[in-house]
Amino acid sequence: MVRLPTLTWLALRNLSREMRRSALTAAAMAVGLALLIFSRTIADGAHEDWIDAGVRLGSGHVTFNAPGYRDSESLDDRMSTAQVEASLAAIAEAGTPDPPLPSVRVATRGLASSPSGALPAFIIGVDAATETMFSKLNEEVVDGRYLQDGDRLHAYLGEALAERLGLRTGSRMVLTAQAASGDIEGQLVRVVGIYNSGVEALDQTLIHVPLGTARSWLGVEGATAVAVLLPHSSFTDPVLEETEAAAGRAGVEVVGWPETAPDLYSALKLDDGGDWAFHIILFAIVALAILNAIFISVLHRKRELGLLRALGLSGRETGLVVYIEGILLTVASGFAGVALGLVVMVVFFRDGLDISGFMPEDINFGGVTFDPVMIPVIEVKHVVQSVLMTFVIGLSAALYPAWHAARLDPAETVKVD
Amino acid sequence: MRDNATAGNGTNEVGHPAVHTEGLWKIYPQEPSPVEAVRGVDLEVAAGEFVAMAGPSGSGKTTVLNLLGGLTRPSRGKVWIAGREISDLPDRELAKVRLSRIGFVFQSYNLLPVLTAAENAEFTMLLQGVPARERRERVRRLFAEVGLEGLEDRMPPKLSGGQQQRVAVARAVLANPTLVLADEPTANLDSSTAEALLDVMEKLNREKGTTFVFSTHDPRVMERAGRLIRLVDGLVEE
Repeated sequence: MVRLPTLTWLALRNLSREMRRSALTAAAMAVGLALLIFSRTIADGAHEDWIDAGVRLGSGHVTFNAPGYRDSESLDDRMSTAQVEASLAAIAEAGTPDPPLPSVRVATRGLASSPSGALPAFIIGVDAATETMFSKLNEEVVDGRYLQDGDRLHAYLGEALAERLGLRTGSRMVLTAQAASGDIEGQLVRVVGIYNSGVEALDQTLIHVPLGTARSWLGVEGATAVAVLLPHSSFTDPVLEETEAAAGRAGVEVVGWPETAPDLYSALKLDDGGDWAFHIILFAIVALAILNAIFISVLHRKRELGLLRALGLSGRETGLVVYIEGILLTVASGFAGVALGLVVMVVFFRDGLDISGFMPEDINFGGVTFDPVMIPVIEVKHVVQSVLMTFVIGLSAALYPAWHAARLDPAETVKVD
Repeated sequence: MRDNATAGNGTNEVGHPAVHTEGLWKIYPQEPSPVEAVRGVDLEVAAGEFVAMAGPSGSGKTTVLNLLGGLTRPSRGKVWIAGREISDLPDRELAKVRLSRIGFVFQSYNLLPVLTAAENAEFTMLLQGVPARERRERVRRLFAEVGLEGLEDRMPPKLSGGQQQRVAVARAVLANPTLVLADEPTANLDSSTAEALLDVMEKLNREKGTTFVFSTHDPRVMERAGRLIRLVDGLVEE
């Protein structure tokens, strides 16, 4: 449009004349956007924490299994040594900024027995050195120590299980499970350490034993899974895509954490839904505030807008002046809102938002322990989404006042008061 | 009354009257009965005329001016401006006609409060795409002629009523319109300011050949008009 620069110039003049009103309108939008960015960064940080905790204690961001294993959890559906090697080779090729951390595991369900009784247990044979970087269960030790290289007939178990079996560090217990041969095999182990993860279900059942011990006890050469920890959950889908073909050639399947930890995935989706509902309510309020401010300014300037028509602007162009005012306010608010949101986040909440005062201790959410200190994380994609949402809201809110301005009757509006 | 000015304005509509109307009606739909503000006005104003439209309040003067300026559409009848029929033009075309052919002066000045005096005066030229240097030069010369020199950067509230109305007249004539429609231009001015404003408009009419049509109650304006049209109850009374 030929006259767009003139209309923009006029819109700028109009905004600058009503500086206080313009600033208040822009502030409503900017604060809304800042709140949105802040809540998104907090939510993103919390979600990544939950995913991290969940995949570390579970099967990693991605998991290689023999087909059928996830349903049967049977040693009959284990991976051969060659399949384990192929999986490790595939993951080594994945293009992540930091190298992925694979953990070869032999897992089985069985019984843990002591002189006090026998309880069901989920027993995983792990490489101790790898596992200290993976599950970090070694950091949850309450008695004794975690497994070390060179350990053979040792076990590391949860506090709840230890209490129920009357075990302490140094105690002996027998692990019993069905071996690869199909026979029920027992293995005597000594408790080397006891942990408390905060997740009741784990503390009651999960036992770590050295990988070599599990293999020899169960008669397994390969593994039941290669669990892989990635630098960030956002790499899950790209890594799955990159490794799928190689996994297929090796006769194994590779899946992401949403499939191996469906409860966690559902919990995150539920939380996301709640966040969106909050954002929609917040922005509905902001949109009404903007619409109100711009519409009132149109009503106050009826005569000026009618005069523009008399001077040669069409109704559409007159409406466009008002709409450009809305665009300028929205753009200014966008920059101010992003700056405000990031400044608030960095200056006040760099070390996290601590809501422990409002919550009871040890809340489990989706199978992981909820950390009441939420560290914000800037996801560029979500910041851009928030800005776009602000633009959509701002530009939509300006439509009605602009339409109203375009339809003003010039003969009526330029009348003497 | 002085003689009608007959100078052409240099545009290509020579040969057509500045204004021509046939059977012009404006009816406002109102309860309990519609209001017939203008009832079959036939009018012709030649290029370069200095015409006053007089009549009591409610006689339809402002409505006729709005119809001539394309600010409102006739219920019946037709309006030609410099030979172009404007009654049925779409909004965009009508806006172009107002921009290129018509200047308005309102009783209450109606300057844009966000612009300086000079910016107000050159606003129509800006919309017409007149280059900045030429705009500034035209404003400088006309401001000197109408006694606004030195007030270019003043905002409207810092100008007196007479000064604001002179800026409005400058804005109306600077874009070289075929026709200037002035609705009670002296109504809010004291007598000496009104006389000075009439001097300005008369001079512009005489020297530039701009056609002026006023609505007025003011005997001074009627006295200076080249022709007086009387409106009563929405009808022209010869």
